[in-house]
Amino acid sequence: MKKARKVLISMLLVVMMLGMVACGGSGDNAPAKDNAAKSDGGSAKSTDGGNAASTEPDISEFQEITFLTLGNIPTNGRAEAILEDLNVILKDKINASLKVQWVEWADWQTQYNLLLASGDSTLDLIGTATDWLNAWENVKKGSFMVLSDEMLATYAPKTWSEVTPNHWDQCRYDGKIYFIPEDQYTQWTNHGFFYRGDWAKEVGLDQITSFEDMEKYLDGVKANHKDVIPWDVAGSANLPMPQYYINAYTNQTTLLGTATGNYSLFFIDPSDPYKVQNPFFDGTLMEDFATMMKNWSDKGFWREDALNYTGETRDLFYAGKSAVDQHHTQTYIFGIKQNMDEKQPGSDAKFYPFSATSKNLVRDIITHGACAVGFNSKHAERALMAYDLIRNDEECYRLFTLGIEGVDYINNGDGTFGRPAGYDDAKDGNGLDFWWGRNDAYELINENVYSGYKELFADFDSYAIDYPITKFVFDPANVQPQIAAVADVCASYIPKISLGKVSDPKAEVEAFKNALKDAGYDQIRDEIQTQLDAFKASEGK
Amino acid sequence: MKTAIREVVNANSNVAVPSIRKKTLWKQIVNSRTLLFMCLPAIAYFIVFCYIPMPGAYIAFTNFNYQAGIFGSQFVGFKNFEFLIQSGKLWMLTRNTILYNFAFIIFGNAIQVLVAVLLSEVSSRKFKKLSQSAMFLPYFISAVMVGLIAFNILNYDYGFLNTVMKLFGADPVKAYSTPEVWPFIILIVHLWQNTGYGSVVYFATICGIDQSIVEAAQIDGTNTLQRIRYITLPSLKSTVVILFLFALGGIMKGNFGLFYNLVGSSNSNLFPYTDIIETFVYRALMNQFNFSYSAAVGLYQSIFGFIIVIISNWLVRKFDSESSLF
Repeated sequence: MKKARKVLISMLLVVMMLGMVACGGSGDNAPAKDNAAKSDGGSAKSTDGGNAASTEPDISEFQEITFLTLGNIPTNGRAEAILEDLNVILKDKINASLKVQWVEWADWQTQYNLLLASGDSTLDLIGTATDWLNAWENVKKGSFMVLSDEMLATYAPKTWSEVTPNHWDQCRYDGKIYFIPEDQYTQWTNHGFFYRGDWAKEVGLDQITSFEDMEKYLDGVKANHKDVIPWDVAGSANLPMPQYYINAYTNQTTLLGTATGNYSLFFIDPSDPYKVQNPFFDGTLMEDFATMMKNWSDKGFWREDALNYTGETRDLFYAGKSAVDQHHTQTYIFGIKQNMDEKQPGSDAKFYPFSATSKNLVRDIITHGACAVGFNSKHAERALMAYDLIRNDEECYRLFTLGIEGVDYINNGDGTFGRPAGYDDAKDGNGLDFWWGRNDAYELINENVYSGYKELFADFDSYAIDYPITKFVFDPANVQPQIAAVADVCASYIPKISLGKVSDPKAEVEAFKNALKDAGYDQIRDEIQTQLDAFKASEGK
Repeated sequence: MKTAIREVVNANSNVAVPSIRKKTLWKQIVNSRTLLFMCLPAIAYFIVFCYIPMPGAYIAFTNFNYQAGIFGSQFVGFKNFEFLIQSGKLWMLTRNTILYNFAFIIFGNAIQVLVAVLLSEVSSRKFKKLSQSAMFLPYFISAVMVGLIAFNILNYDYGFLNTVMKLFGADPVKAYSTPEVWPFIILIVHLWQNTGYGSVVYFATICGIDQSIVEAAQIDGTNTLQRIRYITLPSLKSTVVILFLFALGGIMKGNFGLFYNLVGSSNSNLFPYTDIIETFVYRALMNQFNFSYSAAVGLYQSIFGFIIVIISNWLVRKFDSESSLF
């Protein structure tokens, strides 16, 4: 979050810059194009790629496709080498070449959205996501081109047939498809605590499955390891702790697309998904949570000034100076486990997914990664063809995700891959970051990955459910001022309650609730409920 | 004869009046061509970054859509300003922002003048240069670093301050849970960062004082204090007024970097004393990319600032027309 601190200034800057663009480039006629695309569902675009109905797309003219992804621009030359190889194939198959453009991690949220706002016509394929890259907001603001069914069927036929109609529906807004979901790839990004098995054993815990266990563990660490901060937490990181507590102690899940700032207040019960739930107000859940955290804080589980602390806490966990870290399953399997085995041998790093307490787990949505086409793109058809190849052609797929065989990776032939000797991911990674259409069918698993992941996944699979109302897209237009005000209230109360920096937790929760009400919580909730009712009716239920 | 002269004069005046005017303007330009040339970057800067984008402020009244553009987007009137009122904090935020900036301007200028005067009285060239550089340095330290330094000094567990306190057997202080001390901390940090930089202008003005006046005063037997009181300070007056007016224009604009990095985004216990418009807007709008709302805030601040400048300029002109800006 430290990196996003310039958001405000940058937004004001863009206002100025857009002003210039508006004055200088008014001949661009963007609104007219928008209307054309809207009126006939994007088929207006099909003219420059030949006849949409014809089976053979016209590829006589060579085109360069730009692919926007996130990540730091690689400097080791691997990306160039891979793209060179890939472009030979693309030239041969679709008479096109691919160029990758990166939005670097420094200030990525601002950079990414500004780039889309610019309407740059060279943006063809755009990596997006509904949960972490504002895909719906960008749809509403007009960043993406409508992808008509015919377009997809003609230019990305494999993808079109592979993604089920139900999954396509999850990418529709007002009946029109705006992006292609990453629905053929399994991953778990449910959050939880990482802890040390060896230290848990000291207090007789084999497996932590609740916040109460966690408290016992932290107590033990505090007593047995004087130089360790039990949970060195950087409070400035906007940790949505109440959300995790709700995950652990209810059967509710966040209602996607209704976040107020960095925090989610609105939840649904998957057994009755058309009714918005208010876990922050119901029962004494928040009071219990606040009391527990106040207790943890008083016991000194974290720094006195944790709210202002900005340190790299994971490094301290790796260094054995902190006993707990918090993030999601992918991080545990592909980072924490391996690193801890290496850096703290015998630490037996374990994972307490918050879902374990109440068996409350919702699968990753299929638009955690997705691919859109820029609204100003001149090569939409060829871009879709290129995407179809990268996603569904084994050779292209592995080239783009893993790199050149023998140089970047070694195919063991049994579904796993190894790395050549001396390969260091931090140094030799290709940085192409294709997170917008991965495909289990062509994925290879790293041979060194923590072998227990299969049991973990199997355990998740045994109780995980699908998010029930993926087609519901909340339109905040009517309650925008309230959302902004509530976002401020959340950012003001949630961090201090979560880290117990309050004198009286119950009174503080009461004040929080009152502040939420004053800021317009009820209006937002009623608006969501109204839209949910309309959605339910449209579903015919 | 007389008529002939008159005719000549008439003829001359008929033709010459406009040509003289043109000539003077042209002459003025030619005469001050070097100065104008030096102004060019500044003029270009203001045209490009201030005047051309101005119509873009219209975005504050629209429901902005990327494809439709600023002027094609739907007009929504003052709807984008609603969230400022909805929060119920507008007054507190405006008050905090103005009070902080007021304190910055008053204390900042007073100390800058003091430092400039002191520097000008120092005779050792070496010491002058050294102290100037030392004071200048903090200006170039980024706000993120300043926030980190402050945390390392003030934090409860391992902070420098508390380590020293414990050494002397005193109770450690919880600076990050004591909102009352923050206005002072922020003010001190601001002064620490800006005094060296700000004093340069005053120092330059002092250097520009006619030395003959100073010498005359010395012959008349003034001591150093009298010289400062009757020569240096009066000659600084118009500079002070101009800089004061400039600063007033920005009185509604808070120093986001400084406040955000010192106070952090999470420690809301401090907010009643430290929240300014910028930090509030950042919290309320982060992750929303609502250009219209941000523009609305910017417009609110600019218009407020504009009014303040006009009023204060009018006041200055009333009491001392020489020093006013326009």
